[in-house]
Amino acid sequence: MKYFKLTAALAAATTLLLTGCAQEPSAVAPQSSTDQMQGTQAEDLRTNETWAKAAEHGMSAAFGELRNEGASTLELESVTDKTHGTVIEIHDTQGQGAEARMAQHEGALLIKPAEEVVLTPGGTHFMYMDLKTELVASQTSTLQLNFSDGSSAEVQFPIRNFSGANESYHGSPEEHADHEGH
Amino acid sequence: MAAANVQPTRRVVLGGSAAAAIGGVFAGFGAGRATAAENGGAAPKATTAAHNPRFQPFHGKYQAGILTEPQAHAEFLGFNVHFEELARSEGIERIRSILKMLSTDAQRLMSGRGVLADTEPEMSHAASDLTVTVGVGQGLLDVLGYKSAFLGKLPAFAGEKLDARYGQSDLIIQCCAQDPTVLHHAVRALRKNLRGITEPAFAQSGFLHAAHPVLQGPGFRNLFGQLDGINNPTGEARELAVFGDAQEPSWIAGGTTLVLRRIEMNLDKWDEVDRAGRDFALGRRQSDGSPLSGTKPTDPVDLQAVDGLGLPAIAAHAHVARAKPETADEVLWRRGYNYHETQSSGLLFASYQRDPRSSFVPVQRRLAQVDALNEWITHAGSALYAILPGVAEGKYLGEELFSQNKQ
Ligand code: HEM
Repeated sequence: MKYFKLTAALAAATTLLLTGCAQEPSAVAPQSSTDQMQGTQAEDLRTNETWAKAAEHGMSAAFGELRNEGASTLELESVTDKTHGTVIEIHDTQGQGAEARMAQHEGALLIKPAEEVVLTPGGTHFMYMDLKTELVASQTSTLQLNFSDGSSAEVQFPIRNFSGANESYHGSPEEHADHEGH
Repeated sequence: MAAANVQPTRRVVLGGSAAAAIGGVFAGFGAGRATAAENGGAAPKATTAAHNPRFQPFHGKYQAGILTEPQAHAEFLGFNVHFEELARSEGIERIRSILKMLSTDAQRLMSGRGVLADTEPEMSHAASDLTVTVGVGQGLLDVLGYKSAFLGKLPAFAGEKLDARYGQSDLIIQCCAQDPTVLHHAVRALRKNLRGITEPAFAQSGFLHAAHPVLQGPGFRNLFGQLDGINNPTGEARELAVFGDAQEPSWIAGGTTLVLRRIEMNLDKWDEVDRAGRDFALGRRQSDGSPLSGTKPTDPVDLQAVDGLGLPAIAAHAHVARAKPETADEVLWRRGYNYHETQSSGLLFASYQRDPRSSFVPVQRRLAQVDALNEWITHAGSALYAILPGVAEGKYLGEELFSQNKQ
């Protein structure tokens, strides 16, 4: 019964997102593993204007608005990509202009009740570390957002060509070179 | 004028007698124009679309940009998809994701928002009657296994000198707006989003008066100085000519076809022709667009009318005499634009019609054979597109093409 409900919710959310209704804050498909009366963190998440940068290989990034519709703080611990064979890290950009450097976000990404975190080029974003398959423009990348209460949400990131978001990375020069490619 | 009462409701009725049918087709036209003509002496109305641009709706039975009153600026974008590099199933998925993306893009741009990941969304904020209209070529339909007798390729016509650069593409996007800057942003955003997954084939831009300088309705002065778009169907007759009806739709219900012909006009040679010669070649006067068989722009093109010497008022080989539809099925909706580039000027002839085989093709065959204007014009580009049906909320452009039961 529960399984059925979740599947239906997932299907509805997918259609909504795929048909280009990115205009409306999009519903996400919570995949709760706990059966509490209170909503899970995943259920309290709303996303809007989500997109990922097209890339053939190496690194790329995903952006968008993550809003907390619930009463307690959302603690986003990790992000998983099941289709492109890469680790996803949550990154912050420190400094500005030529001095800008990216670094992994420390601890969980917190979203306070009735607030939102906007993932932007030049700001906090999700980083695809080493793509095994291409992020093709016009297609959609599905990422799983994992919260501290064990709940997770699948969020669709339509893939778009974007020449910006090339901030140099704190890491090795090779990774930097990969990052520039598209 | 008994024929004027024939209502153009059913194509099947119209097809019956050509004479009655033509009367019917233009009944609405005549009536609509009479009001405009009465306005003739008065100061131009200030309330044309150009002066009150708004956001055009994206969702609807038909795509916007077809029956929409022609905006002042247009750009026709052609793209090809490298299907040969993709497995068949990948090709189908590529088409699907492109059409989904274009649906989102069109909807966002037309409502004044930038596209997703837009670097200059501010440029789309002003209301400008922007429309984004999407069609596909037979090559793309082949990948989907979609066959329709209405489509395929246009036949060759006598005298044309086609340049492959302006030929058939897999995808066409017609963008129109009152404001060229808003238009440019939309074009740029669409092209950027299609980069890497398509190959740009052409970008042809055009312009015209947003309102007819004499009739204040749709229409414009072309680069020969002629008033174009006078005898263009209106209202119900136009809708029927473009989309057919439930019994006899176009290639798909809610869809239509677009013929895009790039026609070069030799303005330097046209300069050598005097006023009488120009009017004679067209069959209408350059001054006010009135037919040589009448005195007002709204007067009918009467091929039986004679002048004082008993000679035909409109020469048999004049453009309007040759182009005039002989049956209701031949009626097409011309929605073209002037173009001007460093090396070439002319008309981006764009016509929408239910079935090009019974409308554009016979009319263009006649014109190619004999048309006084041929001395100054050369057809240099040619393409035929299946224009996708309008989109209901929650759907995407061309979704019908992916269903199991194909025609
Ligand atoms: C550069 C090429 C062309 C020029 C300069 C041109 C110009 C004109 C002008 C000034 C008119 C009279 C005003 C009006 O009724 O709209 C006209 C009428 C018309 N033209 Fe063209 N035209 C061109 C090409 C074509 C082509 C390729 C077609 C279709 C195959 C076509 C079809 C028509 C039709 C159907 C009419 C209305 C005839 C009537 O019923 O009175 N024209 N054209």
